[in-house]
Amino acid sequence: MNRTLRKLFSNATSLIGIILLILFVVVAIFAPIIAPPLSDDPYQVPRMSWDVNPQPPGSPMSDEIRDIYDFMGKEIKYDIAICGTAEGGYDIFYGLIWGTRTAFKIGIITVLIAAFIGIFIGSISAYFGGWIDEILMRITDIFLSFPFLVAAMVLTTVLGRGLDKVMVALIVFGWMGYARVIRGNILSAKEETYVMAAKALGVNDGKIIWKHLLPNTIFPVLVQASMNIGSMVITAAALSFLGVGAPVGYADWGQMVSFARNWIIGAPGHAGQYWYTVFYPGIFIVLFVLAWNLVGDTLRDILDPRLRGEL
Amino acid sequence: MINDRKLLLAVKDLKTYFFTEDGIVKAVDGVDFEVYQGETLGIVGESACGKSVTAFSIMRLLDYPGKTVGGEVIFKGESLLKKTEDGMRRIRGKEIAMIFQEPMTALNPVLTVGFQISEALMTHFKIGKKEALKKSIELLKKVGIPIPEQRVNEYPHQLSGGMRQRAMIAMAMSCDPSLLIADEPTTALDVTIQAQILDLMRSLLQEFNGSLIMITHDLGVIAEIADSIAVMYAGKVVEYADKKTIFHSPLHPYTFGLLTSIPRLDVEMKKLNVIPGTVPNPLHFPTGCKFNPRCRFTTNKCREEEPPLIKIEEGHLVRCWNVDKVVKEVKKGLLVGV
Amino acid sequence: MLSYIIRRFLLLPIILFGVTFLIFCVLSLLSPMERLATYVNDPNTLKNPQATERLIAKYHLDDPFPLGYIDWVKRIVRLDLGWSQTANQSVKDAISQRFPATLELVLYSIIPVILVGIWLGVISAVHHNSMLDQTIRTIAIIGWSLPTFIFGLIILFIFYGILGWFPPGRLSSWAQDIVYTGTNFHSYTRLVTIDALLNGNIPIFLDALRHLIAPIITLSYISWAFLLRITRSSMLDTLRKDYVKTARSKGVDEHTVIHLHAKRNALIPVMTVAGMMIIGMLGGVMITETVFTYPGLGFWAATAAQQLDYGSVISFALLFATILVVGNLVVDISYALIDPRVRLE
Repeated sequence: MNRTLRKLFSNATSLIGIILLILFVVVAIFAPIIAPPLSDDPYQVPRMSWDVNPQPPGSPMSDEIRDIYDFMGKEIKYDIAICGTAEGGYDIFYGLIWGTRTAFKIGIITVLIAAFIGIFIGSISAYFGGWIDEILMRITDIFLSFPFLVAAMVLTTVLGRGLDKVMVALIVFGWMGYARVIRGNILSAKEETYVMAAKALGVNDGKIIWKHLLPNTIFPVLVQASMNIGSMVITAAALSFLGVGAPVGYADWGQMVSFARNWIIGAPGHAGQYWYTVFYPGIFIVLFVLAWNLVGDTLRDILDPRLRGEL
Repeated sequence: MINDRKLLLAVKDLKTYFFTEDGIVKAVDGVDFEVYQGETLGIVGESACGKSVTAFSIMRLLDYPGKTVGGEVIFKGESLLKKTEDGMRRIRGKEIAMIFQEPMTALNPVLTVGFQISEALMTHFKIGKKEALKKSIELLKKVGIPIPEQRVNEYPHQLSGGMRQRAMIAMAMSCDPSLLIADEPTTALDVTIQAQILDLMRSLLQEFNGSLIMITHDLGVIAEIADSIAVMYAGKVVEYADKKTIFHSPLHPYTFGLLTSIPRLDVEMKKLNVIPGTVPNPLHFPTGCKFNPRCRFTTNKCREEEPPLIKIEEGHLVRCWNVDKVVKEVKKGLLVGV
Repeated sequence: MLSYIIRRFLLLPIILFGVTFLIFCVLSLLSPMERLATYVNDPNTLKNPQATERLIAKYHLDDPFPLGYIDWVKRIVRLDLGWSQTANQSVKDAISQRFPATLELVLYSIIPVILVGIWLGVISAVHHNSMLDQTIRTIAIIGWSLPTFIFGLIILFIFYGILGWFPPGRLSSWAQDIVYTGTNFHSYTRLVTIDALLNGNIPIFLDALRHLIAPIITLSYISWAFLLRITRSSMLDTLRKDYVKTARSKGVDEHTVIHLHAKRNALIPVMTVAGMMIIGMLGGVMITETVFTYPGLGFWAATAAQQLDYGSVISFALLFATILVVGNLVVDISYALIDPRVRLE
């Protein structure tokens, strides 16, 4: 474990990844302070104006909106769109800050649950073998026959828009990788002598799986899980981009980018005037995923003894 | 008689270190021996004593992070360590060839046996595929593989373990090398096949007076086939002499320990003689002589200073401060019958 | 090998059954009215209670699960896939019309993916830990970290928004007039680039190419970054194997050692993961086509999803799942043919 930590901090790339992750965690925790919510639901991105066109960074809140807030008796805690507004006047800055919380929510929850399901199915399949293994693996194959994004899209279309439905879709089609990995590891581990010794001592199956097999085979799954956090967030963002993910106005990075598609080209003669609609959300997404990938990549290198330069 | 011998390969104070993240591993740290034309040198020692690394150092086939950092390897009068990579490639397979311990992993699973044998021929002698294949069939026949014309188009997994090893030998001998290095060639084989393989290697080499370096931990194999023996421990040669001397008048405590640990059937033994302790961790070698923690003749000097390799008499080198003590033990007659 | 292939073939109907079953489960989450909407082309019909009742019975939409499933599968086999509101035509027609566009895009994307991915993966492994390796790895890591839609938007922004080189869509309007409505142009394959060449019409060929370049770059980036990573890791594994040492010990030159002895072995496991790559590209098709408003299946499906056109979305998923299953089968069989250890047991 010490070796792992040491390796993680000494490698330049993984260090960058860790620093980025820490920054994101800080942003997520201090979201209410960095971008104070202007309505009861903090995940509802406030609008700076009713303009359909995106407004550039630094634009102030329009008077009509100001009046609405005054009318409702709500305090206006900030009134400049630091990163500009997206289509419909949604404040990009706010969306990105609170979107960090959304990203962590999506990433961690979906990966945790999907990994749990996958580990459960995979270990049972590997440990008991025989026709249980066959059936479970065929089921896994069937789920794997759907391109992830397509499957998630179908499910969210049918279930409706909403963050929770997106997470359901991601979990339902996201557990298979873990099942396969843990199954592979357990299949090789279960022939090891320590398992046979435990069996000979009469230890029951559940305990063998839980206490002996899993601890020895689970690390690669954890590596995979950490890297999947990034890809889950990307997929959720992609779904929002396609218009089937989080509801309109929800603080989600993909949502922020979905507005950008129509404006990326800009008005004739002013190519790229709406660059900020892609740039700011894009940076957040890319850095977040990059951070997880860097850390996961280094974890994988640590796992792989051949790359340590052994004899 | 000794004056007739032609020196083929001389290794002097060879040092190969591995620069790993956990520290420098001195896998080979002082290896000296000579191989004469037409003779067999046996390199004997326990696992991880540096035998294989020595072989790879001679062939200059070290993997990262290994590097040869000192010493000399003189082959046919030329220094191999100073050669360019191109120069080494001309020697590998043609002048010096190698066979490995596990033939299943040493043969490429997706290339036919015939191609793998022909490859060295095609590389070094610029002959065409057809001609090389014909020669391969002959070689397979020579090493005792039946129906060679069929075998030549098969893949390694279709052959049995013994046949694979024979195929490897055919591959190594294809260009009639002057020196064959065999790294534990019989360890993975059944005892009966072992004998066959040894005979095969010996007869092939006799044909054109080739030399053999046989690397093994098996004293029985060494006794059978070696003319001279180099005993290695913790990366160093601790004793080097001809076979008779090693078996009848060894001078190094380790050699002595190895020989007396062989169980005897003719004398009643109350318990097995073992060398106490275990092989040291290459990252944490003891100070002084590397063998001293396990040696029963050890003195303070052994713990402080590393003994150099000394020529006791012509053709007999030993690395020990207490040579005379072993002589006394030998005189006690404990080695009778070995 | 024969038994392996037979087994794989026998699995095919089982998996297809499972796939259709799973889709039908999802479909069953919809109410009968919603499902009915996928079959009728005139929304007014739905307001008519008698017509609705009759149609629900006709399509077995209210039947118990097993009967409903069987009827639905029978329709699928007859290619009765319902009506696409988004495309304003039957789903079957919508698919057959848009299929060539997506096929063209994917075919042209596979080439750079394989060439670049494997080539760079091998180089990266051979020059392990060097600056070259680190650079290539960094580009690859950025590849997986850059979601397709962001990358696509950036490409669109730079190469069209600013430079105006590669416009979105499939053909410029003048080219569309010739290809789709003109009388002189014969669409042999409906792959515009090839048809243009067959018709000897170079301007259209170039126009089609111009529209394809940006989507190809976008679609292929993630795939070749992925292929690079697994090729590299497989190659690193293989280069440490004993038989590579054997080859070197024979004096074989390094180029042959890498490309004949090592690469051939390294690519075998890579092939099996090639199946996963197809998945990645199929998913990426939706996003890429949306970003570049390229009129293929993906764009249609994405638009349909937005408009809750369930019939189109489900049929799209069914189609792509089938392609994937068959694709995997082909990959598995090729693997059996290529690896002599499997072929000759």
